[in-house]
Amino acid sequence: MKQHLGRQSGVQTVEVSLIDGKVDVTPKEDGRIDPVQLLKATYDSGVSVAEMDMTARGKIVKDASGNLALQIEPNQSFAMTPNNLSSGLESLAGSATMVTVRGQLYKKSREKKKPEASVPLKLLILEVQKKE
Amino acid sequence: MNAKKLALLLVFGCVLAPVSQAQIKHIEMRVEGMT
Repeated sequence: MKQHLGRQSGVQTVEVSLIDGKVDVTPKEDGRIDPVQLLKATYDSGVSVAEMDMTARGKIVKDASGNLALQIEPNQSFAMTPNNLSSGLESLAGSATMVTVRGQLYKKSREKKKPEASVPLKLLILEVQKKE
Repeated sequence: MNAKKLALLLVFGCVLAPVSQAQIKHIEMRVEGMT
């Protein structure tokens, strides 16, 4: 699995902890990494993903339907699942303020065994680390 | 003098640009069925 993930575009290092069942992926400094591809690559290597968390820096924007999203790049953004922390970021929507957040992108449900590649991942904010 | 200020501005810009970049910094997965 380590080699499989390491071959994905934008991936700098992959650390696997067999004891904890944890996989840490560090992206390249200037590289673009796609969490959906990582999820798919992990399943393709024969391992089931229970949860995926991400730490990212970006701008808060509102999408066409008025939902808040974290925009990493002009063509890469993650819609947010509304919670108390995301509400606190609403005032920053459309501003130049950069925020660093940690959030959950995927959690395995009881029914579904494999995540749908076509369904966009939603970001549940767990921690707002920085606003600048 | 202006050229010197411009050069300094460029140097600071180059230093600060990567820091202000938006990006995914880290991804952590909890997996099952790993041997």
